[in-house]
Amino acid sequence: MRVTICIGSACHLKGSREVISQMQELVAQNGLAAKVDLNGAFCSGNCVKEGVCVTVDGELYSVKPEETKGFFEKEILGRM
Amino acid sequence: MVTNDATLLRVKHDVLYEVAKAAWDGQLDEKKEEIPYRLIPGPQAQFRCCIYKEREIIRQRVKLAVGQCPSGKDSSNVVQVINAACEECPIASYIVTDNCRKCMGKACQNSCHFGAITMGENRAHIDPNKCKECGMCANACPYNAIAHLERPCKKACPVDAITYDEYGICVIDEKKCIQCGMCIHSCPFGAIGSKTFIVDVINLIRAGKRVVAMIAPAVEGQFGPDITMASWRTALKKIGFADMIEVALGGDMTAASEAEEWAEAYKEGKKMTTSCCPAFVNMIKQHFPMLLDNMSTTVSPMCGVSRMIKAEDPETVTVFIGPCIAKKSETMDLNIQGNADYALTLGEARAMLRAKGVELEPEENTLQNGSVFGKRFGNGGGVTAAVLQCLKEQGENADINVMKCNGAAECKKALLLLKAGKLPADFVEGMACVGGCVGGPSKHKTEQEAKKARDLLIGQADKREVHENLGNYPMDKFSMHRH
Repeated sequence: MRVTICIGSACHLKGSREVISQMQELVAQNGLAAKVDLNGAFCSGNCVKEGVCVTVDGELYSVKPEETKGFFEKEILGRM
Repeated sequence: MVTNDATLLRVKHDVLYEVAKAAWDGQLDEKKEEIPYRLIPGPQAQFRCCIYKEREIIRQRVKLAVGQCPSGKDSSNVVQVINAACEECPIASYIVTDNCRKCMGKACQNSCHFGAITMGENRAHIDPNKCKECGMCANACPYNAIAHLERPCKKACPVDAITYDEYGICVIDEKKCIQCGMCIHSCPFGAIGSKTFIVDVINLIRAGKRVVAMIAPAVEGQFGPDITMASWRTALKKIGFADMIEVALGGDMTAASEAEEWAEAYKEGKKMTTSCCPAFVNMIKQHFPMLLDNMSTTVSPMCGVSRMIKAEDPETVTVFIGPCIAKKSETMDLNIQGNADYALTLGEARAMLRAKGVELEPEENTLQNGSVFGKRFGNGGGVTAAVLQCLKEQGENADINVMKCNGAAECKKALLLLKAGKLPADFVEGMACVGGCVGGPSKHKTEQEAKKARDLLIGQADKREVHENLGNYPMDKFSMHRH
């Protein structure tokens, strides 16, 4: 599964690094390193959304740092 | 850079400068559309058929500079084709030139195994549908009348990732591309470039974030004997970076960690490769995934220094500056924790400086974070020398056989041998650029041009050993392994 997280400056200021480090922890905790590929993405121009731009297999989501765990359980674990 | 002419470099740099300037002024959105008109005022076209094409090329270059794909398609590749700039170079690879005398011997015809050569009115003719591009005719012709035409981009690509669409426009096969950037400076029309992070870095500095620069060891000597690491720190601080650290320190970190791994692997009889060159790592991942287990688990020098900085303050933004394109792809691999947030090329960093009116000024060579071994990480053979030094410092056996691969073609050969179980050496040092990082695609001077200044500057460094140097840094606060 290919997951991208925007590393552009707008998303950075919305907490993308926090989303990334939580995702990294969650992937490791769930032993999914071989199944989930975490990638950075350049700005896709969806900066108006409130959260950080995250895609899962191409589908775009907006995730705030505090929503990361719930998002991971629903959209990543949920698809396994 | 060096292979292509100054005009091309000036155009590329002008675009980076204009984008950086608008970003520093906080007016990128308003000014972005004006850049093509400012750089191509007209009414006469200078390089292409018309000013409209020239402006479209600038528009696509601006897109790359702000981190977007030039053609508007969605792609995560760092290296991108600027479609408007691609001149659709001929694809037929062997052609008969004016040198042909339609001689009686007809060595060309006799040497061709595929019946592809006939005699035209004035010269021989090669039927592209029959030609298998073996080159026998070109070798056979006594007048050197048969030229081998190969697209410079295709020729430069070490992994055969360059193809073309139905109109003959260059297309990069992203499954194969290892982001080494060799094609970028090979194109005489400047039709390939890489996405940049300059706007992101500028925005974060402007937003008041603590941004720390990390300068690649290969940079030392690139700007003459008077531009020292201290010169870089002073200049970068002037434009708002909080600090600058030499990645040569990371070279020491990586060497010490790899020495431990190698010592263990050697005892087990397991062959291993280095993991510090991002294009080499991409080559293993994409072209030799069965060898991933043989790749060292040590992170790159860039990652080591970034982790050290973030261990102290997780909020700090770390930015790598060097002659490398593939480092950009390494920062985008989020499976590795704590790596650099962004990577810039030398040209991009200098455009950011110039847009603020700052130049690199001569300064006393007082800043030293790495040992001489770490500083030499950017030279071919430098990684091996540093790892062997660490083995010696630890009293381990340093009598090991390393295949030092100088450039992507040699890397590929070594990996093929390793895959076949026929590698004669115990270890592989993989450097995708010829000469090591000092030969990187975004270098300012070639290895030879910079050698004298580089040797002089590194000669001024003190002779601290690798472990002695690392003793000054909090090595227990972070891991040097990938996971």
